[in-house]
Amino acid sequence: MTRISRDDITKLGHLARIGISEEVAGTLAPQLEGILDYVAQLQEVDTEAIEATNQVTGLRDVWREDEVIPSHYSRAELLANAPATQDGYIQVRRVL
Amino acid sequence: MRRDRRSNSQAPESDYTADIGIECHIQLKTASKLFCSCSNDSRQEDPNTTVCPVCLGLPGTLPVLNKRAVELAMQAGIALNARVAEHTKFDRKNYFYPDLPKGYQITQYDQPIIGAGEVAVPLENDSFSVRIVRAHMEEDAGKLVHPESADYSLVDLNRAGTPLLEIVSQPDMHSPAQAKAYARELYYRMLYVGASDVDLYHGNMRFDLNVSVRPSGSDRFGTRTEIKNMNSFRNVERAADYEIGRQIQLLENGQLVTQETRGWDEQKTYLMREKEEAEDYRYFPEPDIPPLELDRSKREQVEQELPPLLTHVRHTLRATGLEQTKIEALINQPRLAMLGLSVLEEITDPASRDRIVNWLTSEVVRLLRAEDFDWDDFALSVGQLGELSDMTADDELNSSAAKQVLGEMVTSPRSPRQIAEEKQLIQTSDAGEIESIVDQVIQNNPQAAQDVRDGKSKAIGFLTGEVMKASQGQTNPQIVKDLLEHKLNQ
Ligand SMILES: [Zn+2]
Repeated sequence: MTRISRDDITKLGHLARIGISEEVAGTLAPQLEGILDYVAQLQEVDTEAIEATNQVTGLRDVWREDEVIPSHYSRAELLANAPATQDGYIQVRRVL
Repeated sequence: MRRDRRSNSQAPESDYTADIGIECHIQLKTASKLFCSCSNDSRQEDPNTTVCPVCLGLPGTLPVLNKRAVELAMQAGIALNARVAEHTKFDRKNYFYPDLPKGYQITQYDQPIIGAGEVAVPLENDSFSVRIVRAHMEEDAGKLVHPESADYSLVDLNRAGTPLLEIVSQPDMHSPAQAKAYARELYYRMLYVGASDVDLYHGNMRFDLNVSVRPSGSDRFGTRTEIKNMNSFRNVERAADYEIGRQIQLLENGQLVTQETRGWDEQKTYLMREKEEAEDYRYFPEPDIPPLELDRSKREQVEQELPPLLTHVRHTLRATGLEQTKIEALINQPRLAMLGLSVLEEITDPASRDRIVNWLTSEVVRLLRAEDFDWDDFALSVGQLGELSDMTADDELNSSAAKQVLGEMVTSPRSPRQIAEEKQLIQTSDAGEIESIVDQVIQNNPQAAQDVRDGKSKAIGFLTGEVMKASQGQTNPQIVKDLLEHKLNQ
């Protein structure tokens, strides 16, 4: 059985940029352990002779010609869902 | 260890060997972005005006791959003497940062479009080899602006989704000079193949360095640091030099080098962050972009469209016996190098060919450096050069007159004869005419003539000058001098 530590939870929370309270961490750990155990079962299947499958659509070489077609939405429309804007920029919490 | 002499380190450098690898991002020269039809060129555009629902990562949108970007990546791979993959796919690299609208970057993880290769890099009169690990396609992120004293940052996503090719080398460089030479070599290979505009000023080409040092003789690499985002060959060299010195100093003081990501502020490298592990990015195959099968017919088509590669140009120039520094002087100016190739192809007389190549690698290179020179005005052609060479060979023009005509021709399509006539540079080569002028000058300057007869050789210079003056400079001074000597010493 895979053990998920508090440190693992903290790291996953950081990578996903979400804060995780002690209480939630307590319920998340066994849930994640359950998922990993399930995956561990799958890992036991012998796939030696099977080619890896990255996708199931069977499509390949889907591409378009290199042509510029400007968006038919205005900047105001495209940025309508941004939490804040300034002079056409999206405004976010300071990062540096 | 070979190192730059301008080292900042007092440590005994010869005790250490440096290992430098370079990751280079180039912007592929497409009109539209990698996965949507927005314009790829936003240099003059207002923020967030070359964007659409796809490159903004809005829900429910489907990215579609730009075919031209794939072709350019293949061409770049061929120019790197590297293997183009038959099967290649895209992956998601997950991380959160405000300049990455989707919360992931579409890139290539385990099946890059370009595999292993090897690049021979000229350096002074020698060359060394750098192995290419791989090159993969990915989309660029947006741009962040940090207004001074504001508690917020601003995001412009015009650049988000621009197609990049990341070229990863083995740590095969062992000095700052080698790192710089490799960066330069990549630049010219990409420029010649036309995969990128390689506009360094606008960040079309950016370099990240991996630097480590180890005791000389040890075959175990030291702990490496990564230095991000150099945008010039000079900064590649200086950052490598600084970082090697810093690491040697640490080891000499009994400290350890930490694996970390550092920045370069034009003077020194500084700590940015500790290194992320690949697993932190939770890569997985990109479900929106089906894989590519680059079969033989696709590869052949791309090969047919290849312009002359840098390696071909260099090889052809080298076959003429031209020395390496002159070859590289030509190569630095692709249009001049192409002209050089045409000269080698079309001018068959060896003496004439040598004369022209010599002009191109010295006089013309010098003229191109003039402040007011503009490539839009460049007009030099093989036809002009051939005619100018013939006029020189026939003594119609002396060498300084030829250079004057050359200076004019660089930006004028007119024939050298036209230019020379206009500037009255053509030498009289009619023997009878010269002889009569010489006789006249001897008659008018009896004392000087006597001096020459008496063996005072200085006087011959004076008489030659008089003949040149009388002919308004349109005689060949060597012929005049020979004629004077002949007449006065018989
Ligand atoms: Zn777009």
